[in-house]
Order: sequence, then structure tokens, then C-alpha cells
Amino acid sequence: MPEFLLEVGTEELPALDAPVLARALGDRLAQALREERLGFSGMEIHWTPRRLAVLVRGLAERQADLVEEVRGPAAAVGLDSTGNPTQAALGFLKKYGATPQDLKRKVVGEKEYLFLEVRTPGRPAQEVLQELIPDILRSLPCRKTMRWDSSGVAFLRPIRWLVCLLDNEILPIRYGSLTAGRITRGHRFFGPRELALNSPAEYVEKLREARVIADPRERERMIRDAAKGVEGEYGVRALWTEELLGILVGSLEWPSPVLGEFPGEFLDLPTPVIAAVLHEEGKFVPFARDGEPAPVFLGFRDGKEDEKGYVRQGYERVVRARLRDARFFFENDRKRPLAERVLDLREVVYEARLGSVWDKVQRIREICKRLVDPLGLDGEQGALLDRAAFLCKADLTTEMVREFPELAGVMGGIYARLSGEPEEVAVAIEEHLLPRTRADELPESTLGTALSLADKLDTVMGAIIVGEVPTGSRDPYGIRRAANALVSLILRKRLVVDLFGVIDAAAEFYPRIPEGKDKHTVKGFLVDRLRHVLRDDFGVPHDIVEAVLAVPRGDFLGVLERAQALASLKRDAALAELAQIFERLRNITKDHGSTAFDPGLFQKEEEQELWREYLKAEGKVRRALTERDFAGALKALLPLGRPVHRYFEKVFVMVEDERVRENRLSFLKALLSLFLEIGDLSVLAV
Amino acid sequence: MRAEQKRVKTFQDLILALHEYWRDQGCVIFEPYDVEKGAGTFNPATFFGCLGPDPWRVAYIEPSRRPTDGRYGENPIRLRLHHQYQVILKPPPPDIQDLYLGSLEHVGIELRDHDVKFSEDDWESPTLGAWGVGWQVWLDEMEITQFTYFQQMGGIDLDPVSVELTYGLERIAIFLQGVESAFDLNWSADVKYGEIWHEKERQFSIYNFERADVERIRKMFELAEAEARACLEAGLVFPAYDHTLHCSHLFNVLDARGAISVAERESYIARVRELARGCAKGYLKLLEERRARVLA
Repeated sequence: MPEFLLEVGTEELPALDAPVLARALGDRLAQALREERLGFSGMEIHWTPRRLAVLVRGLAERQADLVEEVRGPAAAVGLDSTGNPTQAALGFLKKYGATPQDLKRKVVGEKEYLFLEVRTPGRPAQEVLQELIPDILRSLPCRKTMRWDSSGVAFLRPIRWLVCLLDNEILPIRYGSLTAGRITRGHRFFGPRELALNSPAEYVEKLREARVIADPRERERMIRDAAKGVEGEYGVRALWTEELLGILVGSLEWPSPVLGEFPGEFLDLPTPVIAAVLHEEGKFVPFARDGEPAPVFLGFRDGKEDEKGYVRQGYERVVRARLRDARFFFENDRKRPLAERVLDLREVVYEARLGSVWDKVQRIREICKRLVDPLGLDGEQGALLDRAAFLCKADLTTEMVREFPELAGVMGGIYARLSGEPEEVAVAIEEHLLPRTRADELPESTLGTALSLADKLDTVMGAIIVGEVPTGSRDPYGIRRAANALVSLILRKRLVVDLFGVIDAAAEFYPRIPEGKDKHTVKGFLVDRLRHVLRDDFGVPHDIVEAVLAVPRGDFLGVLERAQALASLKRDAALAELAQIFERLRNITKDHGSTAFDPGLFQKEEEQELWREYLKAEGKVRRALTERDFAGALKALLPLGRPVHRYFEKVFVMVEDERVRENRLSFLKALLSLFLEIGDLSVLAV
Repeated sequence: MRAEQKRVKTFQDLILALHEYWRDQGCVIFEPYDVEKGAGTFNPATFFGCLGPDPWRVAYIEPSRRPTDGRYGENPIRLRLHHQYQVILKPPPPDIQDLYLGSLEHVGIELRDHDVKFSEDDWESPTLGAWGVGWQVWLDEMEITQFTYFQQMGGIDLDPVSVELTYGLERIAIFLQGVESAFDLNWSADVKYGEIWHEKERQFSIYNFERADVERIRKMFELAEAEARACLEAGLVFPAYDHTLHCSHLFNVLDARGAISVAERESYIARVRELARGCAKGYLKLLEERRARVLA
């Protein structure tokens, strides 16, 4: 069975985009082969910064034949009374080069028709591939496209060569100004510039000889192993981030470790500062020993080990220079206590309509005050929280944060400690930007959690109130991310807080402008983010999400817990029964307001029965709700299904007698309100 | 200390070596343009040279002034004025990366002894209405060049596109001479970089950060803007562009002085961009009327 290789040779692709494009190339080729009825037994995807490649094994030599049934004239028209073909049928046969024996009869709808089975023979794979590949290349999803010549082709970075081989035969596809051949390129500095491939099978090994590791997993292993080697030898631990690893794998064709050291005099810099310097400048891997920074780092040169040691010298010089800068910033920043910097925030614009960062800090403090009671903080904690809120943005004026924006918050904590602020305050500042995204780590301390909540709520609320509601992919203020992080914080930290109450209480601190939105838009926006987080991060099924969000609530954790209660009982037959009558209950009471009823006016046995069950259930439900036992509340509601069914069977609600009718409606409305304490059960797919 | 450093010993030798290399690639060797600017991109040889259909290859050195980067001469590498070596290749040849790497070898960098990486970096100049796609080039993890495929200039889609190479000369010289601070570089055999530039860095930092008179600079901006507009109306593209450059620099001074709020910044940038667009359009009109080919 033939093998097929497609390699797209490029100038250096952005490190984190190359894997996305390589996967897309594989997916699209596989899909196209299936659509074209070209079977294959396996597919390998390889990529480096300079190439995307897909290797197809066991490819069919030809497409499978296509067999289609084609409908001709109706049997009554196509055949005469003796069953012989008429002119109409003969024309049909001629068109497909068939004979009368090939005709089949088949009933479609009310009528019988003549059919032919038409077989289109499969075309050779090489022919089909040559048509497919340019379209596949054109369809690759680039984050941003560019042009590099006047051929009209656009891609993420210039495409400079194409290899397209079916076994040892070139498929000379054309794309832009290129024609595919068998020539690939080796490593930029340590391989041959041009390298002829005889067949797809030798791709990986030939490139290895040319100093290129085509398989990204192998490169990742090499990088991790190098770091492990350092860990073992020095008794240290590598400070990895996903991004750092991704960038290294994505920017090297042959990772060659270069170990560097920096002078111990820099070790008095805080670990996050040293890590930021090393991560930023050329993507070095930092190490730590027992939480303290270690004076070694690992860089990766592309291609070959650093025999002469020049690369190491260069790396060390760059790192020294940057650490010297960082120490300069650190020493300058420490000359003023953090609290003194807060006033400078008046000069730092946050947003034209929302004022300076100082104004933002004042709003955060107001929100924090409104979180003291809900979060059960005592007076002393409340005062510490206010102090932390007062100081939390002061580090924006430091040189260190201007140079390394990702250290915002972290530096605030460090400088707060150095300024003699209480430890709780320092920790809260340090943690107040966590989680940055919904998957990020959470603040550990209570005060850090409260401050984070207040900061994020202000960000979201401020932007929306001045009219910056994100639409589509447009979200200039990053509100979606902030709101997702806020929702995630509440749910993952299991915070019992009525967000709507806090929003209402804080609304007065925001400007009112004509094109702005109100606090209801803020609530609606947050509920919508809650919907996404419930579905994507907590795996709550769509119908349950909609059921629990039918009644908007500011207690987001309660919404999650209701959803989990519903999910745990989803298979319960009683729940299905309730879901079935729910809509009727809701519709019949739609225009009715009151829930005050008089049992004395009940006439039917079924009314009495439902009332008794209702009373039993209501007590249990209310008790369970105060204890936040939502599963308990739901279980208490389940026995109502049967009597409600019987009620609707036997009791006619809309009677002539107005008093009886209104009373029945009020009773049903009360019943509905009780159900809605959990959610709108009618949307459940049970 | 290293064998490869034999060839290019001084800052001026580095410039001369690059001139030599790019002259041999068919570039016009141009001069810095005598109006203050933040980057070599603002030189008319690049701004106008990238527009229109005609091939154009040019190389020149550009002293680039960035008031906010001033450090009173106290930072070894961050400078209010640094020297860019700028190359424009329109259209870019398919082996452009190799050509560029050849220039590094030509100035004495043995690529196989070092670590060269092309690291994603897309470039944008909101004031010029220009953007492009490319890399920062890192030599042993020190940034030495910005490598950009321009896609748009003056708000106009480019066809053909141009490649811009912007070498940071101080950084490359620091590497070649094995020193840690730009001020310690040998400019010539017996004059140090610091002897020429240190006091200027200090004085301009004081001026830009502390002394520039905000009201007067604002007025100068308005005047230059008005003058640029008047020139554009009269079809005088090149004088209009000079005044556009003045505006851009005066904006940078106001910015360093901390005199521009976030809201104002947008509108200042938009005003300069508007002028740059006017110049680009006016230039294309000249090309249509066949009154200009490539004018610098």
C-alpha cells in the first residue's frame, strides 16, 4: 500500500501556533481522504518551527468506486404494456451507457420508477491528492495572515518549499509560486540546506540526520530530560510553566541544553522576580531549592551542543544584565513605603469615564465593605481587608511592575511586607489577581479571596456601566475573562454570597452616562458567564443549566448546588413526572400574581390531598433550603408529582365561580413558587 | 578574546561593514534623514519607498530618538537615542532570511558558534498607520534585529510587500566588542561611544522628563500639524511629511513628560496617523501622475 508525505516548509512559525496548524493539516487531510473514498491505515503528524508535515500510511491506490442509484422516468412512462422500454427509458439508458437488463423498478412515494445503478470508477490517488492539497492548504486556520509575494497566497508566515511524495513519485502540486518536489531542508545551521527525500518512509530519519527532530513529543522529552538532569545534579526543582514548555518545543528543531549560572549576589531578589527575568528574556528555565531561587538556569540552543561555550557566555551576560536591571528597580522601589504610592494612583488613568486607578481603588474598598458581612468577617478582618484594598494597586507605580507587568499583585505583596504592613494584608495583595483565568490557581486566604472578588466585580461592573459590553469577539477590556474568573472564584472557593445584593449596594459609586448600561445588564452578563462556566467547567448538562437559571439568583454557588442536586436525581422517575406537569402548572398560573390561598375554599378530595402533601413538602423544603441542602429540598418536592397529576385530572381550575377559581390559581402559584426554589423543571430533558 | 571579533572592532566599522554588505546586494546606501524620528521606519526612504509597485532596495543608518526610553545615561543599554541600521527590500527575495544571516556573518558573527532564533513579533505603528508580521531575531538570547514583512503603510495595503530589517547597532556592537554597556563601546579606535553620547543622554533625559514646557510643546504640535495640513492641501507631499515627523516627535516628548492622558493619547495618535495617510495618498497620486518613482 502506498505511503504519502506532505511537508509544508515555512519561515519560523510562531511557537504556539505551529502545533495548532499541524493538527489542522492532519484533520483536514484525513477528512478529505474520507470524503474522497481514499482509505488509509494510519497518519502521523510532525512539525517543527520550520515545517508542518503529515505522513499517511497504507493509502489506497485508487478511490473506491462510487455506486449511485439514479432515478429515471416513472415505470408507467418508461415501459410499455408489454414491459419493453419506451423512448423515454431508452434515452435514460443511453445517457448512462446501460442496457434494458440493468433497469430496476422501485416505488418512491406513491409511484413506481425506473432506476439504474451507476458505477463511477475510482480515480487514482495521485490524481485526487493533487486536487485536494491546495484547497487544504488554503483552509488552514491562521490566527493572522500575511502576504510575502504577489502570488495571492496568504499564510501565518511565508511558505518556502513543499514536499509532496506518493511513495517515490513526486506529486507536483502548485501553490502560490511554489511547485512541490522531493527537496526538504535540514537544520538552518547544522544540516544541509537541501535534502532530497526518496520516499515518505524515510522522512523522520533523514531529517534526524539533518539535525532536525520532526516529532514534537521527542523534542519535549529531550527538554524535560535536560531539566531533570539539572534537578538531579543540583538538588533543585525546575519552575515550569505550560507556556514556557510550549514555546521551547515550538521554537527548536533540535533542543540542545545550555546550563548557565548567575552570581549569588542576585539571590536576595524575590523568587518571582528572578523567574520573571528568566522566563522573559529568551525563555530560560528557572530552578528553585526549597522555595528559594537557585543560581542556575537552563537555556536551549537550537541544533547542537555549545562546544566552545560561547552561547553559555552570551546567555549568562544577558541574564546578568537583566538581573542587574531588576535589582536596580527593586532597590529604587523600596525607597518609598507602598502606602505613599497610593496617592500617585490619581495620576494613573484607569479609563476615561471611570477615572483614575485611585478611583478604582475607592470603588474596590466600597465593594469590600459590602462583602464583610456576607463573608462572615469580623471587625478586625474588615479593617485588614480595607487596608489591603487601599494598597492593592499601588505596585502599578513601581518600576518593577512597569517592566514586568505580570508581577502586578505579587510585587505589591512583597513591597507591602517590606513596608511593614501586616502579613494578612501582604498576602491578600499578593493573591488579589488570582485566578487570572477560570483555570488559574485560586487565592488561599480569605482576605485575598474577598479582595479578588471585589477587584474583578469592579472591572466587570465599571466597563458594563460605561457601555462596554463585549460583543462577538470584541472585548477590548477583557471583561469576559474577568467575569469568568469572578464566577470561577465564587464557585471553586464555595463562597456563599449574594452577588446581586453586592451589585445593588455598590451601584451608586459608578457614573451614569447616556450611552451606559445599568446594574441589570451587569447581573444579566454575569448570569450568562455563569451559564458558560457551569457547562464548560463543571460539566452541568445544558437542560439542567437552563432549569436552574430560569430564576435569576445572586447566590451563584446556590445555583451550582441546585444544578448538582438535579443532576444527582436526574434518573429518578418522580422527577420525570414532575417535569411533565410543570409546564401546565406554569402556563395556567402565568397571568396570576397572588400566592395567598384559603384551604377552606377547597372542594375536591384531590385538592385536599395535594394541599396536605404541599404542607408536608413545604416545611421540609424551607428547612433544607436554610441548610443549603438542595438535594434534600428536591427530594422533598418529588412526592408532589403524583398528587399534582391527580389534581389536574380531577380538578377543573377555571371554574365560573371567581372566588373558587382565584383561590385555586393562588394555590397552584404557591406550589409553583416552591418548585422554582430549585428551578424550572419543565426544561429538563427527562 | 574571540577569533571572530577580528574583523569589526569598532562601532563605525560595524556600520561600514553593513553598508558594504547591503551595497553588494544592490541597495541604495542612503543617509539618515535630518528630521527627528522614533525609528528608521519613519525615514522617507522607508515610508514612501514601501508604497507603489516599483522595486526598491535601500539601506541606511538612523539615529532614533525615543524620549521615554531615556535613562539619564545610567542604564547600560536603554537609550533615549540609539542607532538603527535599516534595510528595505521590495519585493523581498525568497532567500531573504539567508541574506540577513549572511549580513551577520559578514560583520564577524560565526553563526555556528552561537544561537540565533527567530521569535514571533508582529510590528505595528499606529501613528504611521502601518503594520507587519515577523520576528525579533535573538543572538544568544539578546535581541538584535526586528525583521518585518510590512503589510500596510499609511493605511494602504502594500503590493508588493517589503521586508524591513532593523538592526539594533548598539546591541550588536556590545556583542562584538564583549562589553556590558553601550557607553564602553569603541566608536572609533580611540573614541568611546560614551564620550560622544553620555552627556547628551543625561541632558535630554532631564529635558524630556522634567523640563520640556508642556504648553509650548503642545503649541508646536498644533503649528506643525497646521503646516502639514496646509502642505497636503497644496499637494506638497514631502514638506507635509517633514511636518508629520515633527508632530510624531513632539507627541513623543509630551508622552515622556507624562502630559498625555490615556484618552488624549488616542486622539493625538489619530491626528498624526491622519497626516501620514494624507502623505501616503498624495505620494501614490504623484506615482500615478508619473512625477515620482522612489523619492526619499
